[in-house]
Amino acid sequence: MTSGFPGREPTPSEVPGRSVPPRAVDSSEWPAGEEACPTGAIRADLKRIDLGKCVFCRRCSSAGFEFDEGGERLRAALMARLAAADPQELAKKQRVFKKSLHVLMIDVGSCNACNLEVLNLASPYYDLTRLGIFFTNSPKHADALVVVGALNRSMVDVLKRTYESMPEPKLVISAGACAISGGVFQGTESFVSPVAGVIPVDVVIPGCPPSPVQILEGLLLATGRSAKEAASP
Amino acid sequence: MIPKYVERKQVEEVGGSVQLSSVFQASGRSYALLSDTANNRTILSDLPPKLGEEFGVLLRGGETRPGSPVDLDLGGRVEGYGVFTFPYGPVTYGVPEAGGFKFVTYGERVVKVIPQINFKKRGVETKVLGWDPEDALLLVERSAGNFSASYSACFLNAVEDSLGLEVPSQAKWTRAVAIELERIYNHLYAFGRLAEAASQNVATAQANILREDVLRLNARHFGHRYLFGANRLGGVRADISKAERKDLSDSVRAVVKEFRGLVEFFLSSRIFLDRLQNTARLPREEALALGAVGPAARGSGVQWDDRLTYPIEPYGDIYVNMETDPGEDTMARTMVRIQEIYSSEVILRELLDRMPGDGTATQAAGTGRLNADDFSFCRIESPSGDLIQVVQLDGQGRVRSLHVRPASLVNWLPFARSMETCVFTDFQFAFESFGLSYADSDR
Repeated sequence: MTSGFPGREPTPSEVPGRSVPPRAVDSSEWPAGEEACPTGAIRADLKRIDLGKCVFCRRCSSAGFEFDEGGERLRAALMARLAAADPQELAKKQRVFKKSLHVLMIDVGSCNACNLEVLNLASPYYDLTRLGIFFTNSPKHADALVVVGALNRSMVDVLKRTYESMPEPKLVISAGACAISGGVFQGTESFVSPVAGVIPVDVVIPGCPPSPVQILEGLLLATGRSAKEAASP
Repeated sequence: MIPKYVERKQVEEVGGSVQLSSVFQASGRSYALLSDTANNRTILSDLPPKLGEEFGVLLRGGETRPGSPVDLDLGGRVEGYGVFTFPYGPVTYGVPEAGGFKFVTYGERVVKVIPQINFKKRGVETKVLGWDPEDALLLVERSAGNFSASYSACFLNAVEDSLGLEVPSQAKWTRAVAIELERIYNHLYAFGRLAEAASQNVATAQANILREDVLRLNARHFGHRYLFGANRLGGVRADISKAERKDLSDSVRAVVKEFRGLVEFFLSSRIFLDRLQNTARLPREEALALGAVGPAARGSGVQWDDRLTYPIEPYGDIYVNMETDPGEDTMARTMVRIQEIYSSEVILRELLDRMPGDGTATQAAGTGRLNADDFSFCRIESPSGDLIQVVQLDGQGRVRSLHVRPASLVNWLPFARSMETCVFTDFQFAFESFGLSYADSDR
C-alpha cells in the first residue's frame, strides 16, 4: 500500500491528471496560450511557462497546449526545484538534514487544500517517517518550514516571527501556486507578496494543490537526497 | 426568479423554529434569508429593522474587510481572581489552518471561547466583481478547497439561473456525484481527526487510508483530487460514462464497507467513546437561536438538510434520508457524520444507477434570457452544512454582486457556546465534530 516513491517512480494513481504541467506543442500557440491563462503563467514573449504561477486549470488546452500522459506524465509531474539564493549555503544545510528533518507547516492564507495534502503525508499511503522526515508542532523544534497559501496581510508578522523562532540552520519550502506567486489570489485586497518576498525560500513545489508525492519530492530535494539515496536511508 | 421551494413573505420576528440564515443586499435593498425548520421551508423576507442589531455578530463576521482578524464574541464579560485568557493560534497543529482562539479559563475549566477569524480573508466576493462567471469560478472554487464541489455547484446554479441557461440533467446529476464524494471524504477526515485526538492511532491510520482512497477516486473520475475544475458554466468538465458509473459505484461501496468495520471497532472502544460523550454539549434551543447548520445542528436534533429543504435537481428526484441525532454532544455529531457517509453511499448508488444521458459530453445549448435586474440564489448542503450564495449579474452577464454565506461562519458561535462547560483538552473533539474550516469562513 505504501508508495514506492522515491525508490520507484510514482504510480498513475499517485499523480492525478490535473497535476501535470502544460506543454506547448507548436510555437505558434504561445500568444493564444497567454491569452487563455488566468494567472499569467504562460509568457508568450519568453516562450516559457512559469510553473510557480500555474494553477493547472487546463484552460490553455483550448489554445492547443498539451498534457503528458502515461509514463511521461509521471516524470513531468515531478517539478519541485531549488530557489535558494546561495547554493553553497544550501548545500551546507543539506548536509545537516540528510538523515532527519523535522517539518513545521504554516498556513498564511490557503484554501485548505494544500494543508490537507501536506498532512496527508502522515497517512500510511505516503508515510513520510520511513524517510526520516517528521512533523513537529513548534517552530522551536523545526528544521524546515513548509509555507502554504497566498500570504495574507494579517499573517506577515506571524510568518516572520515563526521563521525567526526556528533554530539555525533552517530551510523554507514554498508549497503550492499561492505560496510561490499568489496563484489565483494575486491581486486580491489582502495579498501581500510571494512568500519569497518576506523570508528566504530554498525550495518551491508548484501545484494547485501539489499532490502528496509532489510534496514528498520537494522535501527530499530540500534535504539534498536524490531519489536513490532516499530509498535506502 | 425565486424557486418554488422558497416562500416570499415578510417576517417580523425571528425565534422559535425560524432561523435567520443570511442577510444580503441586492439592487440597493436588504433582504433576509430565513429557514423555517418546523416546515422545512426557506423564507425570503425584506430585512426587518430590528434584525440588524440583534445579529450583529453574524453580519460582522460576514462583512469585515480583508487583512484584519476579527473576534467573534458571544458577549458577557468574565473576570476575577484566577481567570486567565490565553491565545491559541494562528500557528498550531490543533488547527492546521491560519486562525486562532482566545480561551478564557478558570483553572482547568474553559469559561468562554472567542474564535478569531479573518486571518486569511482573501476577499473573493469583492475580487470577482465585473468578472466573467467562468473566470470568477476559478476563485470561487478555491475559496474553500475541501468544499470546492459545493462552492462551484452553488455558484453555477445561481449564475445559470440568472443567465436563463438550461443545463442538461446529466450534468446536474454529475455535479451531485461530486458533492456526495466530497461529503464522504470530508466526514472521513473529521472522523480521522477525532480518532487522532483520542490517540487512536490504528483508527486514525485506517480513516486516512479510506480518505485517500476517495481522493484517488475523485482524481480518477474528475481529474482532480479536490474536485477543482470539475464543474463549468453550463455543464461539467468530465462526464461520467456508463462503464465508469458502475466502477465508481463499486469503488465507493468498497470504501464504505471498510468504514463500517472501522465504526464497529470505534463503537467498542470505551476510551474513544468517553472522550466524545457529553463533550461540548449544544442544546437544541441554542443551536436554533445561534443559527447552527449542518451536522452540528442535526446533532442537536434540528431537522434541516438543504438536500431535502431546498431540493435542486437531482435531489428532488432521489431518496435522501435526513440523519439527525438528539444527543446534542460530540458523540451525536460524530454519529450524524457516520450515518451521512452511509447515506451518501446510497445516494451515490442511486445517482449513478439512474443518471440520465449516455455519458457523452453535455453542455447547455445556446444562451438563455439574461435576467440582469434580479438576483438569484442557491443553497447547497456542503459537508459542514448549509452554503448560501447570492449572485447578481449585469447587462453583459458579468458578476455585479456576489454574496457568500459559508457554513463555518455561522457555526463558530454555536461552537463557542458548546465549549463553555468543557476543559481545554476537549477542544479538539469539539472543533472537529463541528467541521469548522477557517478557509470556509474567511473565503
